[in-house]
Amino acid sequence: MPDAWIFDAVRTPRGRGKASGALYTTRPIDLLTQALVGLKGRTGLKAADDVVIGCVTQTGEQGGCLARFAALQAGLGMESPGVMVNRFCASGLEAVNHAAVMVASGHYDCVVAGGVESMSRVEMGGDGGAIWDARTQSLVGSVPQGVSADLLATLNGVTRAEVDGFAIESHRRAVAAQTAGQFDRSLIPVRDESGLVVLGRDETPRADTTIEALSKLKPSFEMMGRQFGLDTLVRRAYPAVDRIEHVHHAGNSSGIVDGAAAVLIASREAGAALGLTPRARIRSMAVVGDEPFVMLTGPLPATRLALKKAGMTAADIDHFEVNEAFAVVPIVFQRAFDIDPAKVNPLGGAIALGHPLGATGAMLVSTALDNLERTGGTTALLTLCVGGGMGIATILERV
Amino acid sequence: MANGFDVAREGDLAVITVRLPGKVNKINAEFGIGLAAAFAETSGATGVLLLSGHKDFCVGADLDMIYGVTDPAVILDLVRDVDALFRRMETSGIPVACVLAGSALGGGFELALACHYRVVVEDPRVSLGLPEVNLGVIPGAGGTQRLPRLIGIQPALDLLLQAKLVRGNKAVAAGLAHAAAPTVEAAVALAKGWLAETRPKSSGARQPWDRPDFTWPGVAPTSADARNTFMAASAMVYKKTAGVFPAAEALLAVVQEGSRLTFDGAVDVEARAFARLATSGQAKDMMRIFWYHRTAAEKHEGLPAAPRETGIRKVAILGAGMMGAGLAGICAQAGYEVVLRDIAQPALDAGMAHVVKGIGERLKHKSADERAVVVARVRASLAGAELAGADLADTDLVIEAVFENVELKHRIIREVEAQLGPSAIFASNTSALPITLLAEASVRRKNFVGLHFFSPVEQMPLLEIIRGEHTDEATVARCLGFCRSIQKLPIVVNDGYGFFTTRVFSAYILEGAQCVAEGYDPVLVDWAARVAGMVVPPLQVFDEVTLRLGDHALSQAEAFRPGVAGLAGAKLVKQLVGAGRVGRAHGAGFYDYKEGRREGIWSGLAAFCAPRVGGDPVAQVRCLSERLLLAQVAETLRAVVEGVVTRPQDADVGAVFGIGFAPNTGGPLSYVDRRGPEVVYERLKALAQQHGERFLPAVGWSPARLCYDIDPRQS
Repeated sequence: MPDAWIFDAVRTPRGRGKASGALYTTRPIDLLTQALVGLKGRTGLKAADDVVIGCVTQTGEQGGCLARFAALQAGLGMESPGVMVNRFCASGLEAVNHAAVMVASGHYDCVVAGGVESMSRVEMGGDGGAIWDARTQSLVGSVPQGVSADLLATLNGVTRAEVDGFAIESHRRAVAAQTAGQFDRSLIPVRDESGLVVLGRDETPRADTTIEALSKLKPSFEMMGRQFGLDTLVRRAYPAVDRIEHVHHAGNSSGIVDGAAAVLIASREAGAALGLTPRARIRSMAVVGDEPFVMLTGPLPATRLALKKAGMTAADIDHFEVNEAFAVVPIVFQRAFDIDPAKVNPLGGAIALGHPLGATGAMLVSTALDNLERTGGTTALLTLCVGGGMGIATILERV
Repeated sequence: MANGFDVAREGDLAVITVRLPGKVNKINAEFGIGLAAAFAETSGATGVLLLSGHKDFCVGADLDMIYGVTDPAVILDLVRDVDALFRRMETSGIPVACVLAGSALGGGFELALACHYRVVVEDPRVSLGLPEVNLGVIPGAGGTQRLPRLIGIQPALDLLLQAKLVRGNKAVAAGLAHAAAPTVEAAVALAKGWLAETRPKSSGARQPWDRPDFTWPGVAPTSADARNTFMAASAMVYKKTAGVFPAAEALLAVVQEGSRLTFDGAVDVEARAFARLATSGQAKDMMRIFWYHRTAAEKHEGLPAAPRETGIRKVAILGAGMMGAGLAGICAQAGYEVVLRDIAQPALDAGMAHVVKGIGERLKHKSADERAVVVARVRASLAGAELAGADLADTDLVIEAVFENVELKHRIIREVEAQLGPSAIFASNTSALPITLLAEASVRRKNFVGLHFFSPVEQMPLLEIIRGEHTDEATVARCLGFCRSIQKLPIVVNDGYGFFTTRVFSAYILEGAQCVAEGYDPVLVDWAARVAGMVVPPLQVFDEVTLRLGDHALSQAEAFRPGVAGLAGAKLVKQLVGAGRVGRAHGAGFYDYKEGRREGIWSGLAAFCAPRVGGDPVAQVRCLSERLLLAQVAETLRAVVEGVVTRPQDADVGAVFGIGFAPNTGGPLSYVDRRGPEVVYERLKALAQQHGERFLPAVGWSPARLCYDIDPRQS
């Protein structure tokens, strides 16, 4: 089986996902287009065998196979098709894995992967879906992710102080990386039609976050969980949990942001034809389903599986990106694999930088690659928890 | 002319009067044919008025038509016929009005909903609503679709999920009727006035949902608000039912799904869900207990006929606690002269306050004067004072509700009986002590009986009448008359320790304590009970009745059932009482309580129990659920074999209405039948081997001898 190589990876900065956020006035298709244009400019790419784009809320401005029209807007030519994928929060990394599998299969040579999400313009959950149906609730059952996060914390005895402390550290690292210019290599500033910069750097990391400020925030899912009875729903799977300790709030959960990313994945030959040398190889990948009520444990089995397929152990990984959907997720991950916390999200994560749902997984590629190249590390493992109890992991090897 | 349907013409107006043979209008196959034929006869009319010739408008579907059917296709055909008929009514262009002079329930209210205009008589005795979920089904004639389109999703869910009925005087405010009138005549006039004004094919002759400008009242079905409403409702249903009632879940699902579809599509979704539920075992079991058995018990079917005149006019209640005071209020409300008697003035004062408060709440729709008349029927009497004798001399029924102690009861029986006339009945409200044993102190044992009420007596529907060895049939019959007058549901059982209900109840809560003592997570034990369908979990209920009383009862039970007190669960209860964990009233039991509110399980509990049992909690819940039910089933079967209960339906009625046995099962014997007696027999043997003889199938019960196989329509 041929290898799939990563030749380059870019991303837009992440803007606060509100009407007051910098990227609110930029259409989702334009966010994606600019990421594609950026990738094209840096690689000399003319056309792709396919453009595989992750996006979660594929409705309204994000509906209708955005990938094809963004490719056309980006000048990838009429011969570049496009396809959208949705694996909830893993959509961006799923797109990368999809593209890698396409190339590794030998059927395709040069595929662009990426992701986009404008959470300020297309409301999360706005695409509806059977997940919200009472019928699905009675047949399968599910709870809002925040309740899952608090359940995961309860099951693992993760305290409010721990999750708040983790959040502070996420901001500290992100601000430090930002100050040191460690994101700059892959950042494609978002511009308006005149070429004026709309946003050049990530908008949400805060140097002034304090534990005192965080400790004052009310848990977001406490009322919903206790008064509306949502906490009780988890007893189908966790009958012994008669009380969930609600510890998560806006300050220790992933930020709602806008952004897009693009990654060029090709065979060595196709890259050479463009005069490119590969930056990394995709060593292994895994996607799994885990218990859906706690929902956020997927990174554990996904990581185990990806490591096993690569013939590696956690100790062989130099850099972990564990998406900070909620602080408890990387905390539990670090514990489970007994990893030095310094190796997990060393440049901060989604608590500080934000989690533009369908784009995040693709964004992590450039963050990890840049850092491996800067630090001389070799291997990176990217993993995200996923709605419905899924999990995804991909291992990259710098070359 | 179809039987039961009268069509009259008044000028351009056609008046259909429905008066099916019998006392009520109910929807069955003939009803559909008759109504269709009646409508056919109205051709040429410019308006149709639908009236009932009975007291009630229509009491709903005839369950006989559904109960025996197990093929969903048959049910689907049935409801589709009704759906089509209702749809023709509302889309023909001819305005249809109805007058709800009496109750319209279930299918009867669905018929009313299919009319363009409803006039209700402002009478609190008129009830409107769709209570189908109580029988394990959902409305099947468009009710789940018309109601939300009429009053909005949230209000409709409130009514449907809780099977709430709306009284005639509140129906317009609730949006269920267009107009109200104080009398039937005025209501008919209003309806005729509306019909005269409403031209065929005009907007008024169309349902709101068939008008081009229809918008949903309240939140729009596709909005985020609606999504959140359904999510919250799903969670509330689960919190309340622990997933035991598919009908409640189906209600939510069909309202939600239907709200996004065309009306006809929506009704079809409802019909399919109805067909699935109506043919389910649970619906059959719930229909049997909540309709057939309940109705039979209300009518005292198969019980000794109560005499026309019970000779009971004055009731004395000994003991003014919660039970005594509650009973006093109920008796006063039923018109009895009541003496409420206690040995302590403070208890008597508290009891009288309870009476006043209870009557105030239950008769809040009456005037203050009327309430005062009822309250005045209760006289407080301090035992030991001289006037006591005078109080009791002309009493016809004495009910003692004093502490559960044989000597105390014997003493009271002797003292009080001496003051009674020859025909007076002495009843003990003991919850467990054998009536025959108590009657030893009586010199008029024929008139000595057990009347076992349940707490809170104002709400609990059951009265367990215990026939002592010497109780004569006349006494039982008079008690049944009394039972009817206070509107309780009777079962008549034979004597024995704990008679019927307390035996089963004790087996239940003791098994709960036993599981905890064995090291099962108490949280799982209580949750398992809920997953089994039990109305109240065993440890919570133990705290309510207090562990002290439980311990006392267990010690007392030892005399009648040797070995009980030696069970680990019984020892645990004793130890907990010793450690001051006395019960909810004292703020400490199996659970912790803060300001009267139940918090979590007491963290110190594990120290009194075997080491925690490990393993998959979901699997544990499955085992514990079955164990908690089968502990009660085993006890029920023993009571049947021993002849305490002589009719199987009494066992189910007693368990479900008396002690909250899993209503989803239809009762312990219904559970045996549903699972299969052979299966239950084997499971009981297996559990007996694992956990002890209390699970052993009753000697004399062989699974080949089915305990229970009835056709309620024949009963």
